[in-house]
Amino acid sequence: MSTAQMSAGAEFFSSLSQNFKKLPMWAQSFTNAVLGMSILLLLWWLGGLAIASNPDTAAFADFAPGPTFSALGYMLETGSLWETIYSSLYRIAIGLFWGIVIGVPVGVMMGYFLAVRQVANMPFQFLRMVSPLAWMPIAVLAFETWDAAIIFLIVMATVWPIVFGTAHGVQRIDPNWFRVARNLGADGFQMLRRVIMPAIAQDVFAGIRLAIGVAWVVLVPAEYLGVTSGLGYAINDARDVLEYDTLAAIVVVIGVIGYLLDAIAVFLIKRYSWHAS
Amino acid sequence: MCQYCSPDNPLAHHDYVFNPKKGRREFILDSMAAAGGLSAALGGLTLPNQAMAADEPFDEVVRIGYLPITDASALLVAHAMGFFEDEGLKVEKPTLIRGWSPLIEGFAAHKFNLVHFLKPIPVWMRYNNNFPVKITGWAHTNGSGVVVGRHVKADSFADLGGKQLAVPYWYSMHNIVLQMALKDAGLEPVIQNQTDPLKPNQVNLQIMPPPDMPPALAAKKIDAYIVAEPFNAAGEVLAGGKMLRFTGDIWKNHPCCVVCMHDEHTEKRKAWSQKVMNAVVRGAVYAQENKEEVAKMLSREGKRYLPMKAKVVLKAMTDYSPANYETPDAIKHEDWDVGRIDFNPYPYPSATKFIIDQLKETLVTGDTTFLKELDTDFVVNDLVDYEFVKNAMDKYKVWDKVKGVDPANPTIREEVFKL
Repeated sequence: MSTAQMSAGAEFFSSLSQNFKKLPMWAQSFTNAVLGMSILLLLWWLGGLAIASNPDTAAFADFAPGPTFSALGYMLETGSLWETIYSSLYRIAIGLFWGIVIGVPVGVMMGYFLAVRQVANMPFQFLRMVSPLAWMPIAVLAFETWDAAIIFLIVMATVWPIVFGTAHGVQRIDPNWFRVARNLGADGFQMLRRVIMPAIAQDVFAGIRLAIGVAWVVLVPAEYLGVTSGLGYAINDARDVLEYDTLAAIVVVIGVIGYLLDAIAVFLIKRYSWHAS
Repeated sequence: MCQYCSPDNPLAHHDYVFNPKKGRREFILDSMAAAGGLSAALGGLTLPNQAMAADEPFDEVVRIGYLPITDASALLVAHAMGFFEDEGLKVEKPTLIRGWSPLIEGFAAHKFNLVHFLKPIPVWMRYNNNFPVKITGWAHTNGSGVVVGRHVKADSFADLGGKQLAVPYWYSMHNIVLQMALKDAGLEPVIQNQTDPLKPNQVNLQIMPPPDMPPALAAKKIDAYIVAEPFNAAGEVLAGGKMLRFTGDIWKNHPCCVVCMHDEHTEKRKAWSQKVMNAVVRGAVYAQENKEEVAKMLSREGKRYLPMKAKVVLKAMTDYSPANYETPDAIKHEDWDVGRIDFNPYPYPSATKFIIDQLKETLVTGDTTFLKELDTDFVVNDLVDYEFVKNAMDKYKVWDKVKGVDPANPTIREEVFKL
């Protein structure tokens, strides 16, 4: 290869990158996102190829993208997917709801009152380190229905990021704000409504964003319990019968839904962000 | 009022330093580290105090809990065929549970009043945890096997020296029979880290959930496993494994899963318990007589009690032809007249005695002191209720319809254990 050719090649790439940078922002980010997904798909495909090329494991190569997407297509066709998604989303939504209803006030209290923080810090740190799945026996015993037991497990997982996110947000408020507010004659409620709530909103949503991720993590093992619907249930089912194409297809579904939920959380974080970025 | 809001408060200084730079990032990383702890699996199982459920009102609805394996057939068939309704009982759709631990917890919490457990589970429930559980019958007989990977050259148990084997549960018939077979072949079962070196005459055992066994075998993470159907069939078909030996060919008509109920029902609700066992016995006999139909009925194509396809369940319940299992010779006792899975609900005392005596000799992890003090003869009568199942067998005259019964003396048998 001659020097001229090489420099021509380098020139081509440099002009390509120049042109790329001239593209509008959305086009650049879209291209990068496509690139990221392509890398993921490629790795996935290579992994499937590696399993398929080994005669010992060839029977388990249904993980690969091809069988997965055909299984996904089949599930969409038969419509069996929607009920599955609905029951899992329902459990996640109720779990998150209780996580927020419990977590935000507790977090505000923890952030606002030093004594509360000092009392609650150790037990909460202790509890949050406990794997939500370790609550399973208690969930089974304490709740009448299996659905409630699963939701309890999700709450046990989601409440901590929200509590600590909220508390952290309250703690991060510049004390001078309180001084200004008090000097302007704000009472406790006004302090909460006008200073604390707007100030912590983005931290709360950041906590919720983390909580969503954890909730999905817990959902699959939680649906081991006696329910007959849901994405976790479907994964367990596929695993019991060694149908890895279906299993991978449900993983894809969980990924897509998780991404959408995360996008909503990111939108809310940005919407309520008051920090100069 | 907010204490740290006053920067003059020394406590507030100690507790909180406003630093906009150290912000969300640290916090997020911290929280993610917390999420990592989720993957830690459930450790030991603690049985709840019975007092928690003791004052629940009695209701007559039969609530069945089951694992998606063919072991549950008798209960599921009884439900599917309406045998409970025939007895005038109300029954809920059986609840599918995916692990022994949640099933035990659900039973302990009285979410279920009729379940199937691996035979030794009620032993430690009753005598280690003092939970009032009663065995009221056998869920099935035979129906397990030892599968070796295609990378292992093994024609008999003696060839398993230095190998890694998986069992579904320490307290299981599988573990007991496997260790007896290994010891008989001059090998020593051990439980140690998988990476620790093994002597040529040692065999390392580990617990593995049955669905993980076939892929683990294909990936050579283990060299063989012993488990109930349909995971043997799956290991043969998908992982290219070979059936080394059927357990029913080692211990003739051995129990595997048992039907369990609460003490309070078998002692105080005798009429109700009798009706339940009538239905279960009819379910077992129906399964014994119509294996093919039952396989289809339980499968995904049928009434969807099990998530498996009919083809798999069918193989798991009926494929026991010696021609298919010549190398290795998985069926050495063709004259025993046993099937791949059979159903005889009568809980022979001799088998219970055998299993408890052998359990004392079997290597398990955990505290087994309660086992050493256990008087086998006491257990045989205390743990098992023979009355309901015998009445049901008499009532429906089905003694001659199940296998391994001496018509002259149907409630007694001799245990045949031959390697």
